[in-house]
Amino acid sequence: MDPVEPMQTQLLTATGRETMKKLLISLAVLLITAVSAQAGPEEDRMAFIKYYKSKFPNVPMEEYANGAYAIDPVGRENWEAIEEFPPYEPFIDRGQVMWETPFANGKGYKDCFPDGPVIAHHYPHWDKKQKMVMTLPLALNQCREANGEKPLKYKKGPINNILSYIAFQSRGQVVNVKVPMDDPDAVAAYEDGKKFYFTRRGQLNFSCASCHVQNTGLKVRTEILSPSVGHVTHWPTYRSKVDWSTVGTLHRRFTGCNKNIRAKPMKAQGPEYRNLEYFLSYLSNGLELNGPGARK
Amino acid sequence: MSLLDKHSIRQSENLERTMKSVQRWVAAAIVIGLMVGSTALLAGEMKVDAATASEAIAQAEAAQKKADSVNGEWRDTGKFIKNAKKAAEAGDYAKAIRLAKKAESEGNLGYQQAVSQSELKIPSYFKAMYQ
Repeated sequence: MDPVEPMQTQLLTATGRETMKKLLISLAVLLITAVSAQAGPEEDRMAFIKYYKSKFPNVPMEEYANGAYAIDPVGRENWEAIEEFPPYEPFIDRGQVMWETPFANGKGYKDCFPDGPVIAHHYPHWDKKQKMVMTLPLALNQCREANGEKPLKYKKGPINNILSYIAFQSRGQVVNVKVPMDDPDAVAAYEDGKKFYFTRRGQLNFSCASCHVQNTGLKVRTEILSPSVGHVTHWPTYRSKVDWSTVGTLHRRFTGCNKNIRAKPMKAQGPEYRNLEYFLSYLSNGLELNGPGARK
Repeated sequence: MSLLDKHSIRQSENLERTMKSVQRWVAAAIVIGLMVGSTALLAGEMKVDAATASEAIAQAEAAQKKADSVNGEWRDTGKFIKNAKKAAEAGDYAKAIRLAKKAESEGNLGYQQAVSQSELKIPSYFKAMYQ
């Protein structure tokens, strides 16, 4: 036997081991990439929960329904004080009047939503017939238009009254968004929302995830960045900041976020924001609705 | 001091003088070059008239449209174009061109930004959560 042979074999084995190691690492990286890119809604939700749990190990899951106040004790004290005299109360009252007042044709919201007004937890949902994500504001306006009424504006104004009333009545209901996996259009809408969430945009080159995943809990000026689990539980929301000082919709908030990162905002209730709402709402599955909310 | 020493001292003094002279010429050449170059640049930039402003605005609008086609438009691009048009109408072509160029640059960058992310990219810090 050639005395060199064992050494060669050893060298070959060492080289082989090294190659195998590299191959396995590459495969693992590929696998993680493939899994995260093709993950379904439930895998996404669990990934978000895992991330936030590792970041805020002492925050109970149900607390996420309170947004930033789940992780900001000082802000929470303020918020609890504000909630003693809720600034959104007059909007709920006006919304109740809207709900009970018939349209010009004698019909009203009650006719469009016979199960109402406790209906906020049914939205957003996939509308198979219209092949699109149906949100509550859109459904309210479709009701109005079907009865010969002008649609309401989607960011400011009276739409917030009726939304406040429905949100208040729906308090305690649990977010339970479903993505029918046997419907490719529904899955595509969810995936579109997910892609929007992770896409960097605007002059600041930020994605939703830059603030609400990567930097959750850190401050932007004086504000604590909130986790995305719980983002949708408290809408519409009264914001005390000067250029709000009123109740506004979730899509108004999306618009503000996009403007903050110096991106041109999308149209409120357009497909981009509705799909984003679909994705975000799925992340909050299992949390209680507590709208209307009050925020700084 | 030997003759050899004197000779070498003279030689080094001559060399020093020559070097100083060369340095002076090189410095002068650089200054002249810079002046000529910047004048040429200024001359290039100084073409400010209605036609140039109008062309710059048209290019900015095309870049804005391109960015918008991929949902990549930035917040202020439209505002810059609007203000560029106002400046051109008021006869301030230099301002109009400056704003239009800024808008065009934003349009191009917004387009590139969106196109570079045509596929979903889960950030590296978050990928591990799927394991």
